[in-house]
This record gives sequence, structure tokens and C-alpha cells, in this order.
Amino acid sequence: MKPYVKVALFVVLIIAVSGILYALILYNKKHPDTSKVKPDFIITAAALQKEFEDAEAAASAKYIKKILEVSGSVSSVTQADSNNVNISLKSGNDLSSVICTFATADPSKFKAGDEITIRGECSGFLMDVLLNNCAIVQKRK
Amino acid sequence: MKRFFLLFIFLIIVLSVNAQKYMTKNGYIGFFSHTSTEDIKGDNNQVAGILDISTGEMVFQALIKSFHFDRALMEEHFNENYMESDKFPKSIFKGKISDLSSVDFTKPGTYDVTVDGDLTIHDVTNKISAKGSIEVVNGGINASSKFKIVPEDYKIAIPGVVRDKIDKNLELTITMKYTPIAGK
Repeated sequence: MKPYVKVALFVVLIIAVSGILYALILYNKKHPDTSKVKPDFIITAAALQKEFEDAEAAASAKYIKKILEVSGSVSSVTQADSNNVNISLKSGNDLSSVICTFATADPSKFKAGDEITIRGECSGFLMDVLLNNCAIVQKRK
Repeated sequence: MKRFFLLFIFLIIVLSVNAQKYMTKNGYIGFFSHTSTEDIKGDNNQVAGILDISTGEMVFQALIKSFHFDRALMEEHFNENYMESDKFPKSIFKGKISDLSSVDFTKPGTYDVTVDGDLTIHDVTNKISAKGSIEVVNGGINASSKFKIVPEDYKIAIPGVVRDKIDKNLELTITMKYTPIAGK
């Protein structure tokens, strides 16, 4: 075999292996660990809810898929299904809140009235602002 | 405008306070599809729903982006390639329990029901009918159902390479835990 054929084969092999590796990495990619990532926005639950209520389209464009660090007072803690817990944070509007879904049972120790800070990925606005993939940042007294 | 309309409806519901209406904002919708390579499973725990026990009317609303998948890539494909959630962010069901008389809301127990209505996914609305159950419990009402839909009915295109691998039917599981609307 001529040396340049060997080199060419080697290059092809490297490209193929890295292609497969890259595909595997993409395929197995996890969701960002919101307890560690830097938030795109830091905001209170009341201000966030108000922004969506006043101008949903603009707020959607600004916040959806971004990591938000939201602080507020817990209005309810609900054991949702499939091992998820929802925490609602009070806003200025009694009919609407910020609902944060956690994939762990850990937040179930919180109760209404607790002041907490949560980091999560914004999914948008239904009747409330919805955050997914949430993590507790800290509990404030 | 649409949101104010919804808020308006919601306000009317809240203002006409009586124990006839139940709601939840923490409802669950899951979907499941079996393929030859792996199972596709998405969970949404942020479903809003209202149930009027005097008429049997039910409304569900969910954000597509609230569906969560174990694999980040699957979630991305679900949103971008299949559901186009930037264009069609919400899914809505409006319907009615067709055999309401079979449920005694004053007596705790589990009752089998059939719900008929319009399901809107991906901006396509279809009439559906699903069997489910209503469980009357202390302080609330639980509703659950499991039924199948066909993605093609909602103009959700499945690429040729994977079409044969994905089951034509998609199984939806719905679990709602309603509480009376505050004020009683």
C-alpha cells in the first residue's frame, strides 16, 4: 500500500469515528443542570408574571427556552404525577402565578409562605408562567 | 386578545362561585410511543383543566414546550420537527362527559365515563371520544383517561426513515386532580 493511501484511510477512519462519537454525544445529551448553569435572567415571580400578562408575545420572545432565576413566596406545593413536584410562586395577581416543575421529590419539603429562589427553563405562559427542569437555588428566611 | 378572552372566561368562572366548578393547574398528560429501537415518552405536569360537574363540560390546556423528555435531543426534535411549538405553542381539548348521569358527585367512588369533544393539536382540530374514569374523593375529583391518537390526523409529519419504526398510534395518558374553585 502506498503511504498516501494509508494516510487517506487513516484520515477517513478518524472522521468516521469522530462522526459516530459526535452523534452518540448528541443522542445522549442531557438537559442542562439548572442547579449549576448561569441564569440568563434574574427576576422576581411578580415581575415575571406581570411581563407575561402585559405583553405575552414580547415576554415569550424574551424568556422562552432561557434559564430564569426566579424568587418569590411559595403559594402551593403539589405532588404532580410521575415523580414530579410543582411549586407555585405568588405573583401580584391572585389568579396567575409562576409554576415550577421539579423532577425530584426534594422540593416537597417546602410549604406555602416560604421565600425561595428557583432556577428553571421557561416554557411559556398558559394561565401562569411555566418553568420546567427546575432546581432550588436557596431558601431565604 | 385571545389571552384576555381566556382570562375573561376564567374570571366569569371564578366570579360565578359555586361548588359546581373544579379546576387544576397541575394536571398531567403523558404520551407514549413504542418503536423498534426505543420507547418515546414525554411528560407534562403543567396541564390546566376545568371541570363543570353540573354540565359535565371539560376543558384542558397545555403548552407543548412543557412536555419533558429524558433525552434533550428528543425534546428538541419533538418541539422543532414534529409539533412546531414556536408556531403552535398550545394544545386544547374542549368536551363533555356524555354519560354524566352515571356519576354521583355526592358519593365517593369511581365511575366509568365517556368524554366526547374537540382536540386541537398542531393547529388541527379533530373530534375524539375517549373512555375514562371519574373518582369522587374527599375535597376533590380525580379524572383519568388513556386513549390513542394518530399523529397523521393532526398533520404531524413523521419522516420516512423513522415512519416504519414508529407505531401509528400514540398513547395519551391523562391524570387530573381537581379541587373546587376557591370561594366554594
